[in-house]
Amino acid sequence: MAFLLIILFELSLLYLAFTERVKRFLFILMAQGLLLFGIAYLHLKQVDTLEFTFILTETIIIKGLLVPIFLNRLRKRNNFERLAHSKFPSFVSILAVSAAIAFGFLLGERMHDNDLQSKFFSASIAAIITGIYFVIIHRNILTHLIGYLIMQNGVFLLSLAVGNEFPLIVNTAILLDIFVGVLVLGIFVNRIGDRFQQMHIDELAQLKD
Amino acid sequence: MNTLGFVLAIVSSLLIPGIISITKAKMSGRKGPGIFQPLFDVARLIRKGSVYSSTTSVIFQIGPVIYFASIVVALLFVPFGQYKGLLSFDADFVFFAYLLGIGKFMMIISAMDTGSGFEGMGANREALYSMLVEPVFFILMGSLALLTHYSSFYDLFVHIHYDSYLTYLVAALGIYLLLQIAMVENSRLPIDDPKTHLELTMIHEVMVLDNSGFDMGLINLATGLKFALYGGLIANFIFPVEWPLYAQIVLFIMVNLLFAVAVGLLESFRARNKLAKNPKWILVLSSISLIVFLCAIEITQKLL
Amino acid sequence: MIVAYLLLAVVTGGAVYCFRNRAATLFFILLFLVGQTVLTVYAFCHLNERDSTYFTFDSLGVILSFVLALLSFASFYHSYIYLERHSDTKRNKSFYYAALIMLSASLNGAYFADHLGTLWSFIEATTLCVAVLIYHDRTNHALEATWKYVFISSIGLAIALVAILCISIASSKEGVSDLNLSSIVAHAQGMDTTWIKIAFILSLAGFSAKMGLFPLHAICVDAHTVAPAPISAFISTTLMNVGFLGIYRMYCIVAQTDALPWANRVLMIVGIISMTLSAVQLLKIKHFKRMFAFSSMEHMGIVALALSAGGIGYYAAILHIVLHSFAKAGLFYQIGQVYSVYRSHLIKESGNYMKLNPLGALVIILTFISVTAIPPSGLFISEFMMFKSLFAGEHYFVAIVALFLLTIILYVIGKCLMHLLYFKGEGIATLKPVKLNNLETLSQFVLLGLIFYLGANPPVFFTDLITGATAILK
Repeated sequence: MAFLLIILFELSLLYLAFTERVKRFLFILMAQGLLLFGIAYLHLKQVDTLEFTFILTETIIIKGLLVPIFLNRLRKRNNFERLAHSKFPSFVSILAVSAAIAFGFLLGERMHDNDLQSKFFSASIAAIITGIYFVIIHRNILTHLIGYLIMQNGVFLLSLAVGNEFPLIVNTAILLDIFVGVLVLGIFVNRIGDRFQQMHIDELAQLKD
Repeated sequence: MNTLGFVLAIVSSLLIPGIISITKAKMSGRKGPGIFQPLFDVARLIRKGSVYSSTTSVIFQIGPVIYFASIVVALLFVPFGQYKGLLSFDADFVFFAYLLGIGKFMMIISAMDTGSGFEGMGANREALYSMLVEPVFFILMGSLALLTHYSSFYDLFVHIHYDSYLTYLVAALGIYLLLQIAMVENSRLPIDDPKTHLELTMIHEVMVLDNSGFDMGLINLATGLKFALYGGLIANFIFPVEWPLYAQIVLFIMVNLLFAVAVGLLESFRARNKLAKNPKWILVLSSISLIVFLCAIEITQKLL
Repeated sequence: MIVAYLLLAVVTGGAVYCFRNRAATLFFILLFLVGQTVLTVYAFCHLNERDSTYFTFDSLGVILSFVLALLSFASFYHSYIYLERHSDTKRNKSFYYAALIMLSASLNGAYFADHLGTLWSFIEATTLCVAVLIYHDRTNHALEATWKYVFISSIGLAIALVAILCISIASSKEGVSDLNLSSIVAHAQGMDTTWIKIAFILSLAGFSAKMGLFPLHAICVDAHTVAPAPISAFISTTLMNVGFLGIYRMYCIVAQTDALPWANRVLMIVGIISMTLSAVQLLKIKHFKRMFAFSSMEHMGIVALALSAGGIGYYAAILHIVLHSFAKAGLFYQIGQVYSVYRSHLIKESGNYMKLNPLGALVIILTFISVTAIPPSGLFISEFMMFKSLFAGEHYFVAIVALFLLTIILYVIGKCLMHLLYFKGEGIATLKPVKLNNLETLSQFVLLGLIFYLGANPPVFFTDLITGATAILK
């Protein structure tokens, strides 16, 4: 059953490649948070109850609610453009994300496992590649952040694969998400928004020889 | 018994365009034309004579006929529950796809035969979108073939065993993809708006601008037939083979009805895409079919 | 013990941030430095013992912690001078000191960490502290460098987390129930090599953001350029060491499996590419600190090559790391003085340093000899050992390319530093010698002395520590 949610997760990655509106990106982040909550609930059967509820609440509240709401507020406060312009047209993005999904699947097949871990691995590799691809092609800082958060979702998915044996790792992955993804980057996006008028990454390209 | 499926498909093809337009009318709060209005239109058109432009050649005159014939022959392949279609052999879905391709090809060259700039433009777009949607159909059918180890339409649908939830997912995605393929092939929203009067934004409508009379009637009938084609294919996903015959007939009619209502609803609530967005949109369908393929590989635990 | 140390760091850092007068700041910083030295000595005395379940005082950790302790004394001293010269607000100053204290503590925690999760968390903590320090100037350049640094470093560490997850998947199949390095290394023989290979490549890519190697080297270069000079000295040495530590721990795991030749190839490729990139970019360099940042990148490439060559290369890699830390720190401290003379970091605006500040010029000459590995510098010994191991392993092409690149780098650095020392142009002649405190150069002479001493005639405990660190690779 968890595999069904993983497939929906990959479909959400495809949708991300296809849309152009920044608000839809945030919606996808929320949807991915919900899917990860479902996957965590279905997969982590052997963890003791306290840690289990902790992980679940962290997932649904932080990934599913707080981060998208925080980013939405940031978006409205800094008057971001509605459409996210990227360096490559959406056509190429869809091809790239499909290639990432296929690559993740092939890599998962090489693991010679029958258990769920290689399936988790393939989806998380697809998410990580998609996240990095987004960071590269988009010029707006908010969409950079969203690409980074997608990568976080991929890392969290992989940490769920071993979550039964090492619940501490799942917590570490969430810790990464909270501290770096939101606190520091959010603060910096605010600073950059105050300093530079637009939030294009071209503004931040002065350090050269 | 095999002809029963064929007859039912023909009947539903006559009714589907009417149901679609009634659904759209009800969603917009209008009273709408009757359910038989498209049939009356076709009857009127068939009685009229055709006007052929002097720039056209014989291709323009035979194009619509071949188009209509190809669709009728393709309809002979669609199975009905546990009964084969009237024609069935191994790997017939490839033949099916290319039959439809022949019909479309004849329409395209007959449109270009008129020498009109609009029709050439429409033919161009139609060719592009058909090319982009072709992999979707083949990958979908290929995944089903991988799942069931058979390759004719009848065997594919009969032997799908719904044993794991993944097969349900494959079926659900397959139905969704067939629905979208139907929308693309028939040039409905969001690819193309059949109600638009602006030629520069048309795709299918503009290809048939110069057809009139009997040819136009055939083309309108062909639209309904194409819907029935895909409706029949979708119904096959849902047929449980152990039901008695009358239950299967009712199910078939219900599915086609629902299909028409779904098309009508999809059309009422969407705006038409920007033309530059259409190739992207169709490419997403290919990606979804790729995921279906990966699911099929996963189910059968086989690697290429 | 180490928990006590971390608590001390938190307490003194908080105190420095709250109490902003000079006496209190001095007292708490000294307290912290004393505590840090105590930790290093304690660790050396209790070698290879576990501590607080997640830490182990292993040899490599002790070596790097010793480097850190020495350099933190010097960095705090030079930071004090820097902050006095740049008359900042009290709040900024206290923030700076507190961040520097937390940075040293996180680095020590990472050096001694035995659990992969602990290692990763402490390295993550260093990112946050360094961000505060790089942004100290609050210019637009600083903002840009900080943003890029935090962002790309986080991406790198996320990739490193994926590597740790791959290792944990591989080790859970072997029945290892915790993520301690010692238990993973003990069971590494039977692990599935595909997972190990993926983990190694990902950790190389991730930790390269800290170490300054090929994939994510750009942020290191930018950060070292923009940070204040004492911070550049600190982070281009100790922080790169912690990146090396991360890669080294993964390498120790890989070394027990069959994937070792493949891993050596990958490391060799990464090392050569880093050296090539740094040589190419050095050819059009215009900024002193950027030049030294690229030189750090090149030295890290040399360390990667030494590690991949094997044999005596392991010893050479660790020796090179230690000596490079001292040399680069000395250089950066001196650049702080250079900046106060010329008010600019650009190479073309400097010159005639020999007349303006003879003692500093002497330091420049000696550190130039050290950094470019001209004998009698200790780095010459380590690079010689590296090339010896490369030739012994029959990697002739790689060795020749590396030698060629080193020549180019030596030429560029020599040209720029000679320009600094002897160029008598128009604008330069009008500069007057600035009265500088000669005590400032004392730290650099101490570091230089250490380099020559450790290269020529290292004490026994030092060589024993290094051999102990590489024992696991034999």
